[in-house]
Amino acid sequence: MKGRILVLEVAARFLHPLMMAAAVWVLLRGHDLPGGGFIGGLVAVCATALVSVARGAEAARASIPLGAPRLTAIGVGLAATSGLPALFADAPFLTHLWVELPLGFTQLSIGTPLLFDAGVFAVVFGALGGLLVSILAIDEEEAP
Amino acid sequence: MLAIAPFALFVWASRAFLRYEAPFELRFPWVPWLGVEVGFHVDALALFFLLLITGVGTCVFVYAAGYLGEDPKRRRLFSWLVVFMAAMIGAVAADDLFVLYTFWELTSLASFMLVSYHHESETARRSARQAMLVTFGGGFVLLLGFLVLAGLAGTSSIQGVIAAAPRFAGEPAARFAMFCLFVGAFTKSAQIPFHFWLPDAMAAPTPVSAYLHSATMVKLGVYLLARIEHVFADDWLFGPTLIVVGGTTSAWAMVKTLRERDLKRILAWATVSALGTMMMLIGLPGAEGAMALVAFVLAHALYKAPLFFVAGNVDHCTGTRDIGQLAALARVMPWTAAAALAAALSMGGFPLSFGHFAKELIHIAKRDGDLYTIIGYGSIPVSAITVAVAAIAAVRIFWHRGDGSIPSEMHEAPFSMRIPPLALASLGVLLGLSPHVVDPMLQAAAKCITPDAHLVEIDETRELLGLVPVYALGVIVFASWDRLHEVVAKVKLPSFLLAKTHLEKSQETAVHLASIVTRTIQHGRLRGYAALLFSTMLAALALTLAATLEDGRTLVAHARLGEIDGARIAVLGACVLLVVSAIAMTVLRDTFVLLLVSGLMGLGVALSFLFAGAPDLALTQFIVEVALVVVIASVLLRVRRLGIEHPPTPASPSRLALSLGLGAAVALAIVAASGTGTASTALAEYFGAHSLPDAHGRNVVNVLLVDFRALDTLGEITVLSLAFFATARVFAAFRREEAGR
Repeated sequence: MKGRILVLEVAARFLHPLMMAAAVWVLLRGHDLPGGGFIGGLVAVCATALVSVARGAEAARASIPLGAPRLTAIGVGLAATSGLPALFADAPFLTHLWVELPLGFTQLSIGTPLLFDAGVFAVVFGALGGLLVSILAIDEEEAP
Repeated sequence: MLAIAPFALFVWASRAFLRYEAPFELRFPWVPWLGVEVGFHVDALALFFLLLITGVGTCVFVYAAGYLGEDPKRRRLFSWLVVFMAAMIGAVAADDLFVLYTFWELTSLASFMLVSYHHESETARRSARQAMLVTFGGGFVLLLGFLVLAGLAGTSSIQGVIAAAPRFAGEPAARFAMFCLFVGAFTKSAQIPFHFWLPDAMAAPTPVSAYLHSATMVKLGVYLLARIEHVFADDWLFGPTLIVVGGTTSAWAMVKTLRERDLKRILAWATVSALGTMMMLIGLPGAEGAMALVAFVLAHALYKAPLFFVAGNVDHCTGTRDIGQLAALARVMPWTAAAALAAALSMGGFPLSFGHFAKELIHIAKRDGDLYTIIGYGSIPVSAITVAVAAIAAVRIFWHRGDGSIPSEMHEAPFSMRIPPLALASLGVLLGLSPHVVDPMLQAAAKCITPDAHLVEIDETRELLGLVPVYALGVIVFASWDRLHEVVAKVKLPSFLLAKTHLEKSQETAVHLASIVTRTIQHGRLRGYAALLFSTMLAALALTLAATLEDGRTLVAHARLGEIDGARIAVLGACVLLVVSAIAMTVLRDTFVLLLVSGLMGLGVALSFLFAGAPDLALTQFIVEVALVVVIASVLLRVRRLGIEHPPTPASPSRLALSLGLGAAVALAIVAASGTGTASTALAEYFGAHSLPDAHGRNVVNVLLVDFRALDTLGEITVLSLAFFATARVFAAFRREEAGR
């Protein structure tokens, strides 16, 4: 792609991992503070958008881990799987379970909602990111 | 190799039958709040059908392996055959009406897939569609009947319904349910006026015809009515309806037989006729009917399936099924001829065959009621033509000399195609020699239909004498088949009498209507779509507002001036940003600037969310806005580069009116919503209180998304992913097209 902006390209190289880290952070803290899988996924999509503006749609496509379709499918699978343990505990599908891990100074709560939220994250990232890339790819000129 | 599975099931079912004492049940909840459970109730009747399904299934699998040879699509046929067999087993074993219905429809689906096996052929596709429309249409009516029945009985368990039957007998709703069940059973079992799909379904490969369309699937309707007979036995319409419909079908199908030249279609019409006889047997009063029914079902499976196999062999080895072109095949195909002969003996009801045994039982059953003597006489021609059809399939094409126009390329069928018909047909003859072997089985099955079914003493000489006219007439029909065929083929019925024409016409009308609707609604003009959307919105809002006003509520908001703090000022600032950019939107003309300003508006909304105490919403809004602007900008760039940009159109009065109206309505709605104070805070309070203790989360929005409303979220992300996969295909195609240019 011609007409790239060097500053943007360099900035994107630094910003992309930062934004991805932020996305994961937003996902993880979501249960207690503003954030969650949906917003985290959107932040990741924005990171992809940045890459695509700076380095082209192909680079953006490569920046989606596992490829957009696979990521989306895995996301739906994750979210659905997170509802299964409840069935073994004789509760309705998608009843979330928690485990309390005492860590001495505090307690760490780990539960199936995180798995569910990660699924949401993956679907939003995969589907919207993939969509974004394929729309932006229209603007891409054919490789010579 | 695949035949092992049905064979193992067959062995299991036989064992179960030999040790049969009481029905065994298996149930676990499915939809508990509706009282629907996956219940299976395997009694002697179900076991009897299971034996048929798995026994004939074994032969069909063996035969299909030889018939298909190295056909590249054979994998598909086998997988659908397995699906079908599983569905059939489920349908006859089911104790819940809705479980039965599910399997019932599954068999229709399998039938559709199997009839359309040769999907390159237009006829096969059309036949498959027709069979599907008829059986699924009947299936819907059946479901309606099941719903009414379950409602009346208060349970959807079939045994429960039968037990509760005396409570609702005679109610009009029960009669309605009965007729719904009739429609379902008649479509499945090809009774008049739904009979036409079965002969057309002969476009399927022969193993499929033998299995689905003669031995098992088409008997589901018979099975259902036999199973449920008790519920409606007191309704005086039950028996006569079945006798009239069954009798008419069995007679009419025989007339249609005479019109055919294709061996398979001849057999198919004979099947329709046999199904009619079965329906009639259910309708007959008295205990002998049940016994005759199960015997006939068994006999029919034992002779019709091998005859279809024979037809398949003939087709396979000579390349034609036209009986006019087939003659003297016995020399080349001795094995097939032997199988055909054995099966035909049973079909014609000749002494010493199981068909004879069944036929005698039928005669006794018909004789039982004085009123029904006339049916006995009426069935003589039907039986006679059956004899003639049997003779055609066994004698004419194998031993008749013909006029010398025999296909030159002929050979005997491979081994795997010889064994199944021989096995089934010789079983039919063996059982005829010693019917007492299966007597206990038949009796047990018949007892499930009518508890007082018992063994019937057969007066041999009298029965034989009664059959003499049948054989005599049969021989006459056989001898003059070609002449009869010419006469019958000339008769043309007015097309409005044929249900088939109505079905086809309604299909055409449906397609025509759909194309009109599509053209009107999907005209492809974006502006039209937008106008439609916005006017609908306007109308909905206006109606709601009008309703609010009628309630006597005031639209004036109670403006309260609270203390002025930082957050309020910030929200006010965001609103100013919104207003300014909204005004700018109406003045600006350049699309790019418009896009940026609309992004600004989104930003304003996000800001107001943020300061009004909804940080999650604000974050989402920010990000969506950014992504949207990037995407639209790149599309706009592309459009501009291609030079296909539309010049902005001048404002038209109607669009101006629409915009103003919508704006006013939305503003009024907001005022009304905030002014009436109807918004309940109960939900917010509930979630606020329960979020941390119940779901371990302080962020109520997130807890709502992933826990309290997790199923909704799961649905949403599924939709999102499906939308992505669908659009990805479209974009991929678009790119390919671009690359191709």
